[in-house]
Amino acid sequence: MACMSVMSENRSRSAEKGNEVNVNLVVAHRLEAERLIQWFGLSEISPRAEFPWFGNGEGLSLVVTGSGAGRAAAGVRHLHERRPGCAWLNIGIAGHGSAAVGTGLLIHRIEDRSTGKRHWPSPTGLKLPHGNLITVSKAETEYAEDAAYDMEAAGFFTAASRLIVSDLVLVYKIVSDNPKHPLASFRRGQVPSLIGARDSEIRALVTHLRERGARFAHWRSLPAEYQQLLEKYHFSVTRKAALGKLCRRFTALGMGPRLTVLVSKRYHSTAVLMAALEDELAGALPVGGKGSNEPAF
Amino acid sequence: MFSAIYFESAVRDHPRTRAILRRYRDLPQIECGRYSEIFNRKSQNFRLQKENSALILARKHGRKVLPAPGGYGFDAAGSHYFSHMLNCIYDCRYCFLQGMYRSAHCVLFVNYEDFADAIERTLSHPKEHPKEHPKEDTHRKSCHSARSRRISSSALPMRSFGFAQDDRVGRQAQDNGVVAHLPTDAGEVAPDAGQVFYSGYDCDSLAFEPASGFAEYFVPWFAARPRAVLELRTKSTQIGGLLKQEPIQNCIIAMSFTTAAAAARWEHGVPAIEKRLAALGRLQEAGWPVALRFEPLLPDTSPDACRELFELVFSRLDSRWLHSVSIGLFRMPADYFRNTLRIYPDEALFARETRTRNGVTSLRHPHEEAWLRQIETALFRHIDPKNYYRCADGETDREN
Repeated sequence: MACMSVMSENRSRSAEKGNEVNVNLVVAHRLEAERLIQWFGLSEISPRAEFPWFGNGEGLSLVVTGSGAGRAAAGVRHLHERRPGCAWLNIGIAGHGSAAVGTGLLIHRIEDRSTGKRHWPSPTGLKLPHGNLITVSKAETEYAEDAAYDMEAAGFFTAASRLIVSDLVLVYKIVSDNPKHPLASFRRGQVPSLIGARDSEIRALVTHLRERGARFAHWRSLPAEYQQLLEKYHFSVTRKAALGKLCRRFTALGMGPRLTVLVSKRYHSTAVLMAALEDELAGALPVGGKGSNEPAF
Repeated sequence: MFSAIYFESAVRDHPRTRAILRRYRDLPQIECGRYSEIFNRKSQNFRLQKENSALILARKHGRKVLPAPGGYGFDAAGSHYFSHMLNCIYDCRYCFLQGMYRSAHCVLFVNYEDFADAIERTLSHPKEHPKEHPKEDTHRKSCHSARSRRISSSALPMRSFGFAQDDRVGRQAQDNGVVAHLPTDAGEVAPDAGQVFYSGYDCDSLAFEPASGFAEYFVPWFAARPRAVLELRTKSTQIGGLLKQEPIQNCIIAMSFTTAAAAARWEHGVPAIEKRLAALGRLQEAGWPVALRFEPLLPDTSPDACRELFELVFSRLDSRWLHSVSIGLFRMPADYFRNTLRIYPDEALFARETRTRNGVTSLRHPHEEAWLRQIETALFRHIDPKNYYRCADGETDREN
């Protein structure tokens, strides 16, 4: 199933790539990646890159961005150029004004403290603890608000939602420190176990994104005949877009077999081909088509 | 029903907000500034969002009552609409809301009192009604341009059920018995005479009633203003609140129906036809004015399927006591249709040949007028044609 982003360039590139639904994970630090690498069988693709990234060949990739919103955004773009994501998930540790250490939170509101801008990841319907998040530029030690504090999510969300519909971009944070257990007492070595304790939640989120991403891609997918026609004829950009729409209509109307027949014929030009497709559709069954229970008038 | 609730800080302490938050205490409850931060922002996908839509509780600012666009029935005194809710909890594939908003979340404006004040002002000063935004006007007109005759019909001051007729209002027989009721002289209309207020353009009026208490608030309000008419447009069976109240003659419950096959295929999450009919029957028995809207008719709807539907409907309802009956074709503003096609590129409903005229896209039927007449003929076996109007507003091809 082709992976489709909202950007047409990526859409066509992805369509040609084949049957992938890429879920891209984004973490700030290698320690946050450790358990994810184990769980999902990820192997390092590019160890010396500015942004080390990993993949499992089954549509799951992970990039380590480093600290800060700017790095997170750059890391998203870096991975996208190599593995266009159908869906994006930022995972990491965060401070919190009240939640207990180890609590996992699906983030519904992200506030960028430096700009005041707010972002709203869509609800998932998953029964997970949830919360708000403030992205700060320096590690938070005051915990003034009843919210999570991180340093990446705002940059991540802004960058990822420019590449794909924001309904396929999520942020999940695990509380590492709070007023009772301040950052000063936190040891980096605790990170893998904190992430590890949220195994089922993270897997559920990945599955959720993979399924939604697959549906999204399927809705927009083009039949194989489209690709065949692109290989047989030269289309202008405009005609190529129109061809895609015509092919989709054949599929939607349950006329795939008829499209196959038409594609197998030879046409003198793309104009003649398009006219043939349009003529066929003009005589299409009424709305219900073959699936309708009602007789056509 | 919802996967989260957002609420504006400004309505955090509003009694309706508090009641709804209590009712849905298990859902994530997220505070926001303005609902527009979440609703209708860019980079959203309506179809994906519909799978896990949220409820947004907000305050309605600005104009709360809008004139029904030009060409809607009463040109002078009287038809208006107000939307206490944006979007619908149902998921009807043919619905224009899919193309109207980027977001599938439902917005509930909790400040009903402000809506009521605005309606009151409109009743007092009908001529001072502000003009609608031109763009919005175009959208509304093309979405529901067919409603003009419905509005005219239901705007009749009602002295009794059924075919009430006011002296000022003429009934003009048109071809095939299709009738529209139009006031002949706006100047003769009293300030609040026959003014109609439509709820249910941007939502289903009753579907969220148990939580919203919309009808619970507005029906008594309209009861105290008997010369103003409220129409509740719905596919919902949430009638418990209405049945607890004394019926009033200036509140019409208009329920929409499509054929059984169309309902099964295109109406998701909507109560079954039988259940809707049972609800409407109970309302009718209780003395509420009820109306029937057979729409949207899709081109593959056969007259036989319509006959079956009519047989069913009129075996459950007493046609003598119907407020009005209408039939309407599928159509959508062209830009909404384009938006809808973008999110449902794989949907057979939108893959057929279409026709766009005057900014409105409809599905082609090779013999539309003859087809419609067959359906109307079947309908007129059950109802008095004088109580019928067709939502076709002259755009129908005449091919007979």
